[in-house]
Amino acid sequence: MNHEEILSVVQEKFLSSELVTAFLCDAKVLRPDCIKKDRLLAIVEYGDEKAVFCLFTSCYPPKSFTDLSIEIVLPIDNSFKCEIDNKPSDPEAILYLNLQSRNNKFKFEIQMTPRVDNFVDDLFRGIEAVNKLPTQPEFVWLKKYDGQKEDDFIAQTMVLPRSGMAHTQVSAPVAIRESLIKRKMSDKEFDYTFTKRFTIFCGTWNVNDKSPVIPLKGWLCVDKEPPDIYAVGFQELDLSKETFLFDQTFREDEWYNAVRTHVDPRSKYVKVEIVRLVGMMLIVLIKEKHMSHVRNVVCDTVGTGIMGKMGNKGGVSIRFDLHNTSICFVNSHLAAHVEEYERRNQDFRDICSRTRFVQPNQLPKAIKDHDQVYWLGDLNYRITELDPLSVKRMVNENNFGPVLEWDQLNQQHKINNVFAGYTEGPITFKPTYKYDPGTDNWDSSEKNRAPAWCDRIFWRGDNITQLAYRSHPALNISDHKPVSALFTSAIKIIDEEKYRKVYEEVIKQLDKMENELIPQVKVDITEIDFGTVRYLELQVRTITIKNTGKLPVEFEFIKKLDESSFCKDWLIVEPYKKCICADESCEIQLKVLINKTSACKMNAGTDKLYDILVLHLYGGKDIFITVNGTYQRSCFGCSIEVLVNLNIPIREVPVGKLVELESKRDQYISNQSTYSIPKEIWFLVDHIYLHGLKEPNLFEQPGLHSEVLQIRDWLDSGSIDPIPGSIHSVAEALLLLLESTVDPIIPYNLHPVCLRASTNYLQCKQIVMDLPEFRKNVFLYLCEFLQEALQHNAENGLDAKTLSTLFGAIFLRDNPNVVQEPQSRINKQIIDKKKAQFVHHFLINDHSDLIFTK
Amino acid sequence: MATNRSGASQRPNGAPQTKVCQFKLVLLGESAVGKSSLVLRFVKGQFHEYQESTIGAAFLTQTVCLDDTTVKFEIWDTAGQERYHSLAPMYYRGAQAAIVVYDITNQGGAGVCGMRAIFTIELPTRDTFGRAKNWVKELQRQASPSIVIALAGNKSDLAAKRMVEFDEAQAYADENGLLFMETSAKTAMNVNDIFLAIANKLPKSEGAGGGSAAGARRLADGEQPRSSTCCK
Repeated sequence: MNHEEILSVVQEKFLSSELVTAFLCDAKVLRPDCIKKDRLLAIVEYGDEKAVFCLFTSCYPPKSFTDLSIEIVLPIDNSFKCEIDNKPSDPEAILYLNLQSRNNKFKFEIQMTPRVDNFVDDLFRGIEAVNKLPTQPEFVWLKKYDGQKEDDFIAQTMVLPRSGMAHTQVSAPVAIRESLIKRKMSDKEFDYTFTKRFTIFCGTWNVNDKSPVIPLKGWLCVDKEPPDIYAVGFQELDLSKETFLFDQTFREDEWYNAVRTHVDPRSKYVKVEIVRLVGMMLIVLIKEKHMSHVRNVVCDTVGTGIMGKMGNKGGVSIRFDLHNTSICFVNSHLAAHVEEYERRNQDFRDICSRTRFVQPNQLPKAIKDHDQVYWLGDLNYRITELDPLSVKRMVNENNFGPVLEWDQLNQQHKINNVFAGYTEGPITFKPTYKYDPGTDNWDSSEKNRAPAWCDRIFWRGDNITQLAYRSHPALNISDHKPVSALFTSAIKIIDEEKYRKVYEEVIKQLDKMENELIPQVKVDITEIDFGTVRYLELQVRTITIKNTGKLPVEFEFIKKLDESSFCKDWLIVEPYKKCICADESCEIQLKVLINKTSACKMNAGTDKLYDILVLHLYGGKDIFITVNGTYQRSCFGCSIEVLVNLNIPIREVPVGKLVELESKRDQYISNQSTYSIPKEIWFLVDHIYLHGLKEPNLFEQPGLHSEVLQIRDWLDSGSIDPIPGSIHSVAEALLLLLESTVDPIIPYNLHPVCLRASTNYLQCKQIVMDLPEFRKNVFLYLCEFLQEALQHNAENGLDAKTLSTLFGAIFLRDNPNVVQEPQSRINKQIIDKKKAQFVHHFLINDHSDLIFTK
Repeated sequence: MATNRSGASQRPNGAPQTKVCQFKLVLLGESAVGKSSLVLRFVKGQFHEYQESTIGAAFLTQTVCLDDTTVKFEIWDTAGQERYHSLAPMYYRGAQAAIVVYDITNQGGAGVCGMRAIFTIELPTRDTFGRAKNWVKELQRQASPSIVIALAGNKSDLAAKRMVEFDEAQAYADENGLLFMETSAKTAMNVNDIFLAIANKLPKSEGAGGGSAAGARRLADGEQPRSSTCCK
């Protein structure tokens, strides 16, 4: 199928007013616990509104829109974001597409094809267009896809990866189940958690390359009660070149120890984590008694300095889970220079987008993926619109209001250019920058800039109250003053009893859902009786499998233990494997055909018309289908030795008797046997001899299948009526009979000798003379008959060459059980030629001497 | 510098875990002793007086929460008819648990009429307990050596027609190291209990040889010689 054909199938999935403007095949959805393949991404347009759809295709390429189910719908609105990455290991061929819309985030893996450009162009056009709209679109048309999406989504996560688990265990289900349980549990969090308030101290200080030569008590230990958590951030810890280039500094230990020494002595604290990038350092401490409830501690650093990479500017962060609440602390040092607020906004955005907390078996978390975020640091925003002197005057009079209105950060925050969604408490302290170190005097250098509130603390999350926000001017070794904020924050704590209850409920729900989604089908017949089955007579029965479940079902007839095929060789099942859509049915044809191979086994009693088929539903149950029938035995598929010993029609021979005869067929000798050649061969040959020697195209024109079957019945039942059918049908029946014998007329073990001797009549004669008795009889009898037929070549058009080729292939029939070396066609032609050559001698030479030697 | 303390436990301080161990469990036994009914009672809490005969192997899942782990059973409920006997290894191979079911009245399907009767007249005299013993023997010979086997004497609600004594079965179970309970799918007696007992007996911790959820799965993989011969 080409792109346009698939497009038309995809388009059918939508209304005609909803236009598929671009799509990609072969997409994968990357989820934390699994990768889902065979997805198709489509951009669909309805009026001005566009949305990205992720569809699952049950077969690829999708042949009909019913093969597609909608899995994810992402409206392109102003919350829509698209990031494109190359796959690091394979940047040329694989792209990652991170799409985000209304708090739903998905990562797709797509193949780099020329179509990708189109798709991405279309996507960006959509994003551009929606941002130009005066009002946000409502996406009413997407509502109808919503319910569908959730059902399908759960259905697929639950069912599809499990396919085949019954018979080949796959590891995905447990992981999927665990992650589903996690998701469900987090949805129900309120049912099993209660909250408890924790106090959190956040401090930030740009120490301007100084060592901790003064006590920090006046900053870290000023509150009535010791806080539960300390998050202390430093900037410009060390401005030396060595630190910048090699990221090594002794100051890390100095300041860490200073903090440890000066935190509230009334409580015992332990380190949660410490992280540093060049001069930015963040320390998180927690009361020892809480530490056992701290999990999944991860940190990350992002440099936004020179070249957007170096660590002289940027952010360092620590995240962890405390009880059931996820907390993230960020310490950042944003771009300097008074006018560069845009650059600072950009640094903020870069830190947000580039900070990634990587945990095993989980998608990386970003800063915003946390219940609570505390962001502190030297954010470097200034006051540029006011005259420095009047700023100093106003702040000296503690008249901060008018100055704060001109604070770049307040201005940018108000218009959501930075710290959107974050809160900052009211500022009631003097600007913290810039002072002459060691004093409380404003910077006396020539730059003469307005003082500014560079050092700030923001937060994000529910149930957080700021108790204090202040600076600590007494700590004056730097050109910045330290700032701190104290919060009381609600931490969710698990009620174990309730948790267990909710957990068991969730499990119960999942079980129920999973069991409902187990494929269900109805098979109309599980016992198939073919009745009487005759040689070479095809019989067909049909069973109908109806998918009565909610999802597509894939079935397959599977092999039983230690068997090489899912059914016996006389049975054909079509189709043996297929996917059935919900509410649809599939007809399966079971065909029985007893050919010479299976007839031999039936006659010898090594096989019977009975089989149990195992119809397996992927992800579901197995259904046993019993196939039964009675084989009406025939002279076809018997050995020559057995046939010469049957003096009654084969149908009258008791079953056990035939099996017994076949088992001892090597022991028969002529004087005990009834006939010198099988009577069936004689009947057929004699009929042609009497009525058909002059028949044009003898042995070349095929007979009628129905007449061949009548002749079979005539032979098997020992009818006294004349042989039915035309000469050609009789001739074909003869060939088929000769072909069907258990062994060929010339036993397999003599074939190599025959081929080697094929040019030498005397040797060939010797071989024939040494044949087992009944084989020799049949061989010579037939050759004699063929010589007779050649006498009439004027009428029947036969020639010795054609006949010897035809009968060479029969007398020296290849052994089907021997796996032949891959024969080239030329090789096969040579062998066929030699076989013909061997027989040819006996068609042109008088070999009556052989007959008379008997 | 990044550290990760997402240690072994999912929740701090013994809070319930979301660790799921998955086990394959197979039900074996003469036809009409109540295998499907036991599963239906366990999974859906239902009982059908006229449960259709299973022609094949039904598949359902059910999870039980233990104190420290969650055990998910993948239940294969096999056809009891003798002619499907040769297919049973497909289901018990790779199984970590089996419930062998007999009928304490020893007359599986007694009183069942209609279509069901057609399938239950295969054996004129039924010895469902003897048949159960044969299944146990076969499991001991052919199934995984670590398989947990439970013997269930079902239809305990029909104690008036009892043909197999509790003590006899208990003694046999003790001899062979089987879990044993008399159950009733009809009244639900001991149905959850027998599955729970199996869940408790299955090895789950890394040290106990069974492995964690992943271990249990690996075990299953390793013991599936069938994966190479079927589903290909």
